[in-house]
Amino acid sequence: MESQFLLAKAKDEEIATKGECGGAVSALFKYLLDQDLVDGVLTLTRGEDIYDGIPILVEDSKDIISTCGSLHCAPTMFGDLISKYLTDMRLAVSVKPCDAMAINELIKRHQINEDNLYKIGLNCGGAVMPISAQKMIEMFYDVDPSEVVKEEIDKGKFIIELEDGTHKSVEIDELEEKGFGRRINCQRCELKIPRNADLACGNWGAEPGWTFIEVVTEKGAKLLNDAKKGGYIEVKTPSQKAITIRGKIENAMIKLAQKYQEKYLEENYPDIENWDEYWNRCIKCYACRDACSLCFCKECDLEKEFYNDEDAIVPDPLTFQGVRMSHVCFSCVNCGQCEDVCPMEIPLAHIFHRMQKKYRDKTGFIAGVSEELPPLYSPEKE
Amino acid sequence: MSSEEPKILGFCCNWCCYGGADTAGTARMQYPPNVRVLRVMCSGRINPAMVLKAFKEGADGVFVGGCHMGDCHYDAGNYKWNRRAKFIEDLLPEFGIPKERFRFEWISASEGEKFQKTMEEFTNTIKSLGPLHRSFPKVSKKAQIAN
Repeated sequence: MESQFLLAKAKDEEIATKGECGGAVSALFKYLLDQDLVDGVLTLTRGEDIYDGIPILVEDSKDIISTCGSLHCAPTMFGDLISKYLTDMRLAVSVKPCDAMAINELIKRHQINEDNLYKIGLNCGGAVMPISAQKMIEMFYDVDPSEVVKEEIDKGKFIIELEDGTHKSVEIDELEEKGFGRRINCQRCELKIPRNADLACGNWGAEPGWTFIEVVTEKGAKLLNDAKKGGYIEVKTPSQKAITIRGKIENAMIKLAQKYQEKYLEENYPDIENWDEYWNRCIKCYACRDACSLCFCKECDLEKEFYNDEDAIVPDPLTFQGVRMSHVCFSCVNCGQCEDVCPMEIPLAHIFHRMQKKYRDKTGFIAGVSEELPPLYSPEKE
Repeated sequence: MSSEEPKILGFCCNWCCYGGADTAGTARMQYPPNVRVLRVMCSGRINPAMVLKAFKEGADGVFVGGCHMGDCHYDAGNYKWNRRAKFIEDLLPEFGIPKERFRFEWISASEGEKFQKTMEEFTNTIKSLGPLHRSFPKVSKKAQIAN
């Protein structure tokens, strides 16, 4: 269907004030739970502090209020949570673009049933690692990280709010030059508006107190329409200017991402000697595989005796990461989980993302966005 | 064979390339003895992991021969292999193995001469590249022991 732009906000006063940008997303979740259209809502909530975004399954619409507000220090993934633990539930899930990409790849592989799922997309400029957020707040803002009550990314700045209501901001460019700011894989990410979900919601181009929504699928359009009829949300049409502004922000973000791709995957890409040093660190803990949003085999090839060396601790990269790459790298959604969880800090997402880019250039297959499976799965004679 | 001679592993599909090698053999066509032929039922049965494992075990080059397009005994196996082979060409350099060390070709059972020529060419390529010295320490140590 042709995409359609809307501004929306929650009718419920409490959700509208506690939620981000008028709480339209929370209101949609409340509607879905109240009408029994879903059994649960999978989303993020604040854990110990603002640096602790954790996944939560909400089954009672009264609890939705606890999930209101945005969190940027949350490098989580929902795809494998659904395919591993929640396949028997009808779900609504708040997805950032990489979540939506991982879910799409799993749907294509029959690990998730698309009919059971409402994907409410959230625009995403990138997530920040909790540790690096706390360090940079100490260093650049001269503030004790525990005193920060809210964080926000707006107009290229990382903004923090203190208990007394004062705001402090630093340009993200400046932070990233010094090695802080968004995660490296997020800096390289080109999908900022999740057009692979049912709805894509965000603050770009929105008026204060409203959420800008791009309606992507029929399912999303119906949900919005019904929630409006049910009195959960208020909807209006955005001005042409707002649409233009949103487009400009998106383009600027994509251009920046391409610049970072060039920087991290070409110019500053580790050479073979560096990689040998990285591979030598591997302790074969399988964390990269376990955290991968795409790996779903019950019996993993990597554990087969065929590839194992009796006396070696460090696995040969060819038959460890090489084999893993030959299974999933063409579908890599660049979520960065492998790199995040690696205890030996091997920059895995770099090599996986680079390979998916090579594959994309040759075949046109974009992981998480293309509707078909990668051509490597094709039975066609071509 | 001296240790200077390159080791090449050749996967040949049962219906075409292996037949081609047979034809070359029965017609007494000379080709370098560096290639160790491993018969598989179809080139579509070969996955990237097998090629990676061959390099890990010390092969200096890996060759894969399948049927010509349209001739696959199992209809589309060689088309699937073709897609995989192109992917392998992209993957190997990431681990420091030049893609010239990996070659795939379509050879029918009657093309003994093509098999002979391909083996000569490929062996010369590998000889000019020299033995594969992977910088990954564990392997170089193993290679030392083997020599």
